[in-house]
Order: sequence, then C-alpha cells, then structure tokens
Amino acid sequence: MIGVLSYLVFFTTVAAILSIAVLGLNLQWGNTGLFNGGVVASFGAGAYGTLILGGPPQEGQLGGFELFYPLALFGGLLFAGGLAWMVGKLTLRLRHDYLAIATFGVAVAFENVMRNATNVTGGAQGIRGFERPMMETLGSGLTYNLAFLISVLVVLALVYVFLERLTVSPFGRLLRAIREDETAARSLGKAPARIRLLAFVTGSVIIGLAGALYGTFYAFVSPQDVLPILTFQIWAMLIVGGAGNNKGAIAGAFLIWGAWTFSGWALSRFAPIEVQLYTGSIQFVLIGMVIVGMLLWRPQGLFPERLVVSQPGGGTREKTQAEGLT
Amino acid sequence: MIQHLVDGILVGSFLSLGAIGLTMAMHILRFANFSHAELLSIGAYSALVFDKLFESLLPILAEKIGPLSMTGALAISIVLSMAITGLSAVLIDRFIFQRVRQKGEELSMVFASFGMALIIRNVIGLVFGLSAELYSQDIAFAMVVSRDPLLLVKPDQVFVLIAALVLMFILHLVLSRTTFGFSLRAVAENPSLAQVHGVNLKRMIAAVWIIGGGLGAVAGIFYGLSYQITPVMGRDLVLPIFAATIVGGIGSVYGAVLGGFIVGIAANLALVILPSGYSPSVPFLMILAVLLLRPHGLFGEART
Amino acid sequence: MKKTLVFAAAAAGMTALSTGVQAQDCTTKVGAVLPTSVDWGRPIAEVAQFAVDQVNDAGGAAGCSIEMVLRDTQVDPKVGVDAAKALVDLEGIKVLLGAVSSGVSMPILTSVTVPSGVMQMSCCSSSTAFTVLSEEGKTDGLWFRTFATTSVQSAMGAKVAADKGWKSVAILYKNDDWGQDMSRLIAADFAAAGIEVKANVAINDAQPSYRAEVTEALGSQPDALYLALYPTEGKSAVREWISLGGTQNMILANSLKSDEFRDAVGMQYLGNAFGTDTASPRVESADAFKAAYTAKFGSEPNGPGLANSYDATMIALLAMEAAGADASGADIAAAVSKVTDPNGTPVTADTAGFTTAKETLSGGGTVMYQGATGNVRFDANGDVSAPAVVWKFTDAGTDEVEYLSLTEVDAYIASLKK
Repeated sequence: MIGVLSYLVFFTTVAAILSIAVLGLNLQWGNTGLFNGGVVASFGAGAYGTLILGGPPQEGQLGGFELFYPLALFGGLLFAGGLAWMVGKLTLRLRHDYLAIATFGVAVAFENVMRNATNVTGGAQGIRGFERPMMETLGSGLTYNLAFLISVLVVLALVYVFLERLTVSPFGRLLRAIREDETAARSLGKAPARIRLLAFVTGSVIIGLAGALYGTFYAFVSPQDVLPILTFQIWAMLIVGGAGNNKGAIAGAFLIWGAWTFSGWALSRFAPIEVQLYTGSIQFVLIGMVIVGMLLWRPQGLFPERLVVSQPGGGTREKTQAEGLT
Repeated sequence: MIQHLVDGILVGSFLSLGAIGLTMAMHILRFANFSHAELLSIGAYSALVFDKLFESLLPILAEKIGPLSMTGALAISIVLSMAITGLSAVLIDRFIFQRVRQKGEELSMVFASFGMALIIRNVIGLVFGLSAELYSQDIAFAMVVSRDPLLLVKPDQVFVLIAALVLMFILHLVLSRTTFGFSLRAVAENPSLAQVHGVNLKRMIAAVWIIGGGLGAVAGIFYGLSYQITPVMGRDLVLPIFAATIVGGIGSVYGAVLGGFIVGIAANLALVILPSGYSPSVPFLMILAVLLLRPHGLFGEART
Repeated sequence: MKKTLVFAAAAAGMTALSTGVQAQDCTTKVGAVLPTSVDWGRPIAEVAQFAVDQVNDAGGAAGCSIEMVLRDTQVDPKVGVDAAKALVDLEGIKVLLGAVSSGVSMPILTSVTVPSGVMQMSCCSSSTAFTVLSEEGKTDGLWFRTFATTSVQSAMGAKVAADKGWKSVAILYKNDDWGQDMSRLIAADFAAAGIEVKANVAINDAQPSYRAEVTEALGSQPDALYLALYPTEGKSAVREWISLGGTQNMILANSLKSDEFRDAVGMQYLGNAFGTDTASPRVESADAFKAAYTAKFGSEPNGPGLANSYDATMIALLAMEAAGADASGADIAAAVSKVTDPNGTPVTADTAGFTTAKETLSGGGTVMYQGATGNVRFDANGDVSAPAVVWKFTDAGTDEVEYLSLTEVDAYIASLKK
C-alpha cells in the first residue's frame, strides 16, 4: 500500500498548494470584495520569479542566479506583489468591473510575455528550476515528497493563521466595512482605495507564494502552467468552499481538485476511447454547471462566512446583502 | 503601414458590433459579462445551421451575391440568427443572471458569466465538433486598391464594414429619436427613478439583451465570413471586445463603436513595432494606456 | 510532427493472429498520459492502443499480456502530472508513454518518472530542453522520445527551397515550443543554404485574426512561404495569404500533412506546395501497413504524431520484452538499446515483427526495430534521427516526391553546418 500512500502524499501536496492560492483569493474576494480575474498572473509571477532567481544558469537566458532558496522565494513574492500593485493602483479607484477586466487582461499578457521573452523565461519551452531544495539530504523518493508535503502544510497553516487573525483584527473589520458600504467607511475617515490596494497586493503575494511552491515542487514552469483555466479552477474552489470563510476555501480546494482528478480517473477508466475526445469538454461543462449552480442555489458556498464577534447585530451575511441591495 | 491601418478598420467593425451590446449590458446591469463573446459564437453557429438548411432546401440561394462570399441563404440566416441569439441572451439572463442577481451581489454575476462562458463554449464544441467551420470553402481574392504602397482589400471586408456602419446608424436613430431610446437611457442613469416614471425595468433589460445578442450575432457571422468559426472564438474575442468597451468608456454606445475601431487599428499597427508573438498582449496594453490617461474611457463618465 | 505511418506487413500480423498465439494469464500494465480531449490528441492515443493490440496478438510482452491504462492530460501540466503519479503509484506501471506537450512531459519527468525510476517514452515532445537535461545527467537514462523531426525537417525545408531555386522565403511559425525551435533552426538552415529569410513571423494560438501577421510576411514579397503551423491556424493563415495574392510556392512542415488543411485551402492552390517529413526505410512491407491502418481507422495515417506514437509504444514494449519479467524501469530503459541496435536482426513494425523479435531476444540476440518513423536509433540523450521524404498533396492524400536515406540526410545537414 506504499503506492497509495505515495500518491496521497503527492495529491495532498498539490491540493495544499492550491489551497494557499485560494486563501489569497479569499482575502481579495471573500473579505474585501475585489474581483481578481487574473489569479494566474500572480501565481505565475511567484513561480517564474522564484525559478529565474534560484535556478541554474542556462544557455541564452538571463536567469539562473542560483540564489539561496529563501531569497529566490522572496524575490518571486516581490515580483507577484509588484505586478499586483501596478494593476491595483490603476484600477482600484474605478468601478469594480475595471479591476475584473484589467486583471483578466494582465493574465493574458503575462502568459504571452512568458511565452515570447525567450531570453528571460525560456519562452514556450519554459524554465527549468533548481535541484529541489534539500534534495541531496532527502533523496528524490517518498521521503522527499513527505518532507515537502509537511513544509507545504506548515506554510498553509501559517497563511491560515495569519488570515484568521487578520479577519478578526480591526483591519479585517475595516475590509468588510469597505466591502459592505464604502461611503460609510469613507465618512468614518478611512481611505478605502489604499486599504483595498493593500488587501489586493497581500492576496496576490499569497497567491504568488502558492505559485512559487508549485514551481519548486515541479522544478519547472512553462506558459502552459499559466493559462486562464487555472484562474477558473481556483475561483471554483473558492465559490464552492464558501467565500469569506478560510476553512471553506481550503475545503473547496481539496474538494474541487479531488473531483477534477477523480473524474479524470473515472472517465479514463469507464468511458470508451471513442468518447474520450469529448470527456474534456464534458468535464468543463460540468464544472461550469457546478459553479453556476452553486451561485444559484447556495451562493454562500458549502461553508458560509461566519459571523465575526465584533460585528454588531444578529443577522447573517445574506441578510446584510439583501438589505444592501438596491 | 497603410495596409495595417485599413485592416485595422475592418477588424474594428466587428469588434465594435460586439462591444455595443457588452457596454449596454454592463451599464444597465453593472457587471462585466465574460460570456458576452459567446453570443458571437451562438450567432455564428446558428447562422451556419440555417445557411446549410436553406442551401439544401432552395439551391438557388446558394449562389454568391456579386463578388462577395455572401449567399442569399446566409443573408436570410443572419436575420434569423440575430433573433435566436437575442432570444438566447434574454433566456440566459432570465434563468441565470437574474437569479444570481437576486441571490447575491453584482460581482457574483461576473463569476457566473465566467461559468456560463465555459458551458456555452464547450456545449458548442460537443455539438459541432472542435475543428473550425467555414461558411464558404472558396477563397475570396482581394482586390488591389493600390500597388504603391501596396493596398489590398477583400470585397467581403468592404461589405462587412458598410453593413456594420449601417447597423450602428440604425441603432443611433433608435436611441436618439424614439421614446424607447429615452427610456433606455433613463434606466441606465437611474433605474429606480426611471421605474417611478413608469419605465418597465424588466422589459428594458430584455431589450438590452436582444440588441446586444442581435448585434453580437452579426459580429460573429461577419467574423466567420472574414476568417473561420470555431467553438473557442468567444474565448479569443473576449479580451479585444472588453478593451474596446473600456477604451470607449463603459456605458457609451458611441464610445464602444470608436473603441472597437481603435483596438482593431492598434492591434494591426502594433505589429509594425512589436514582434508578432506579442500580439495577444495588445488589448491589455490598450486597457492599461486608457486607464493611465483617461480612466473612464473616451466617452465614459465617472460612476462607482 | 506528423508523418505517414508506414508499418510493415499487416498481412503477416493477421497470420500470426490466426495461428492462435495463446493469450497470457498475467497482465502487465503500461501507462499512457496523452491529451485525449484535444482533437489531434485522440488519434495519438488510439494508435498507441493499436500497437498494444498488435503486441497482444503476438502473445504480449515479457510473458504477460499488456494493458494500456490511458489518462487524459487536458494539456494541463497539473492534470498530466497527477495522472502520471497516479499511474505510477496506484497502477504500478514501469513504463509511461507520453506526454505530447513538452510543458506537460517535463514536469512529469522531473517530479514523477525520474524520482520513481520509471521509464518515460514520449512520442511528440520536441523541446530542446530535454536534450540539455539529459546531457546534465538528470534523466538517469529514463527519458526517450521518438520525435526526430525538428532538425531533420528544417534541413529538408532548406533543401526544397534550394532545389526549386527559390531565392527568398517568409516563415510563419506556431508560437509554441516546437514552433519557436523550428523557426530558429529553419532560419539558420535557409541562411546556410544561401536563401534569404525576409520575414520570420510568429502565429499565436487563439487569435481572432491572422491578417496582420500575414500582411507582415506578405510585405516582404518573398519567393516562397515556409509554414511551421498546425492545421487549425495553418488553414486560417494560408487562406488569408492566398486571398491577398501571396505566392503559392509553399514549403510545409509535416504538421500540415492533414486532410483538414488540404480541404480547407483547396487543391487548386496547393500545386506548388511541398511538404517535408521523416520517413520509414524502404522496406517492401511498408505500404501494407498503410493499408492495415486504413482498414482499422478508415483513413490514411495522416495526423500529427501518429507514427511517433506507434513507434514509442512499440519500442517501449520491445524493451519490456528484452528486459524480461519483473524488470524495473531502469532495466527496461537500458534494454532500449537492445531493440534499436543498428547491427541487430531487422524486425518489422507489426505483430509478426514482434514475434520475430521475441524469438531473437530469447536467443540472446539484439534487434533493429524498423518503425513507422524509420530505423529508430536513440543517441545517449534519448533523441532520434531518421530518413526523410519530400511530399505533395494529391486528391486522395499525399504522394512522395523525393526520398533521402539517413546517410543522405546526415550528409546534407553536415553540408549546411559547414
């Protein structure tokens, strides 16, 4: 049964990495109400930044600085944060759809630049990473994967605790206040644009962290890793899990990623090869229906946002929204 | 250079048609509809079905009109396809967006439209297959307008441009000369106030979807006439159409028209300075430039 | 990427079937991760299954019948890697076929197959990064690919232009790993052959129109057009090119050897279009396979990666046979040289060939596999070289215009390098 264990370790690692990205998006969307349509740009920035800074030198490429791993990781996060800051600065003071469209655009442009800037990113061939950190001590087998999983889980826990504390902190209250009623928040002397920018950049850095871990785990990243479908998958995880709830975000990541891989397994096992050409399309239709269905019948997700103690009144969040609807 | 400019105008004509519907829906319903470009696919594919149907029923309709690759069958199909696409848009709104609107907040609709786009695109792929389809297998040759500088124009493109301009003019008349046009603008400005004054909000929303869907269908068919139709054409067109909307200013029909032409021209001219590999980034660069220089677009007004 | 599948005698295969080789009691699983949900991906998977069926008709490999467990990659690296990991851990495979895209094959190699000691054989991943990785010794000799075409094809493209007397070309290439490599190599080869490259234009996937790109290439008014594209964007770009009055002198990479492309452009415009491809050796039985494939799938084996996929599967199974029962991935990888030995007994690419190979290997001999893509021979980095053909479209399919043996190909490539 070592095989099952080995696979579970692997699956959990990927799901945990995706959970971190979903947590980052939850800070933006769930807590602050910012629609990030370009999750892959932050994710990719983290992965590319880390691999370019930490990877081995390669012929004809600028990268390969072979920096000490934590330093490379930090550089990747900085890259993700910088990109988010630029987009946020330009769009956050405008009405919300500008952010949705601009972030969607930045993701397309990001993939495109990674594909073409061969001198920096390896172009369409992608960029090959370093030897994975600690590989020499741990080998490349199950022990290594187990150790990597534990590190990822630790990071996930840290991000989770950070966000949980943030939610109940005065800053978290402020975020929700801005989400629910911006004018009121402004009248209390708060600067919504700055606060939203801060939340947006922080969320993007967390998504970038997920990307960096992803690139580290595979020791490779290519433009194929940053296609818009990833944005969609991460959004699906958040919507199904429950926007505004960090536990829900993690549960959503495991559920959707589990369903995605399980359906792949089931279709390849039970669908005859003649219909396998269509399974990809069917899978996309199904996931689309799950999303739309979720928004129709349970928009709060499987794990709705909990009431935070400091929030006055006894109503649930849906109620607040119903009242706020014009 | 001049060829790029002319090509850009021609590409711009269907981007404009697509952007008009998007900007109207975004203005009235206040959400970025990521599934709008799928209406172009619905239009293009339903025209394909009707086109084949009419050609087999009445072979005389399969004759090409003048130098165009357009046939009589396709011309009739355009009208039917506009109706079907408009109707689909209304139904999608009734069954999906309206309910999401009631249940959640405006931004939930953005994500719902993401999901709808995925569903529509893949259902089309399942029904019609994944490979590209053509209205006409024949290659329509370009006319040489000038040899130096070299300027080539296809008759189809001229037709598409003129037809698009005529449609836009009709829409302009409707919006500026009829009571319906006034009500529509009133709803866009202030939905609750308009309702107080006796405007039927539901009917206005349906009208917006019908106009948006109808123009989207024409855009999709013209696109298919100029290039080819594929199930993923919506995915390929969504960003340029959004860019056109933002350049023009969300909510402005005239802005959308101008925005479409600007994005089309920019995408073509960009190749003069940028390596062609970077062309998918051009719409985003346009958005960025507008946000830096004129955050609400050319004709948009500040509104949160 | 695509080449005519020219396999050896299917008739012989039928004979082997009717002599009734007994099916084995045990089953060995091999894994395949291929993009079955993509239009050009499914035939690649089908042809792999076809090869497995033929081997089972010959009584299976290494004493057991073979079951191919196929997983879809959706051309998504995450999904592909997860599928590969599941196959290795849960199905216990020792041989993995795939993937198609380099961007999927690479993370599978670095994070699944090499750490687990599983042999990976890709039909179609073209990235030069694999060669670099092998040279650095990081693949542990577990990586192979039957995709030989990039350098051979670019040299052949230059040869066609030189032979036709075309003095200048414009290049349109697909902006992915394969296309970027092709564009670089073909531009160098054209230059070496004394042909001027007037424009080298990238064609991106998923663009609403290729008008601007085509105009760009057209503006340079070249004698000929070189196309390193797939059928989807190829037909769109070429229709645009022809409608704007561009030259009909065209050189096509093997990826455009497709009925879809021919039908969409029209035969009347393809009279002066020459394709290049790698080829199988001149063995008598070659045409018989084409017939067998046509009988099985209802069309000629025209499509990206079909021959490569067939060979990848066959060589992997031959190597399993050579390595014997209960071999590890590394053992099987080491046995690849035994079945692609230039001095070995030639065997054909079919059931009969597999039966012959079994007999030879059990007698301690080595085998030279004459595959659909030629006398496949891997170098130390798992790369292959192959003979080449120049072809033309016909109403029914394609016709061969010229054939160059491996020696001639090597000589021509060497003459360009001078």
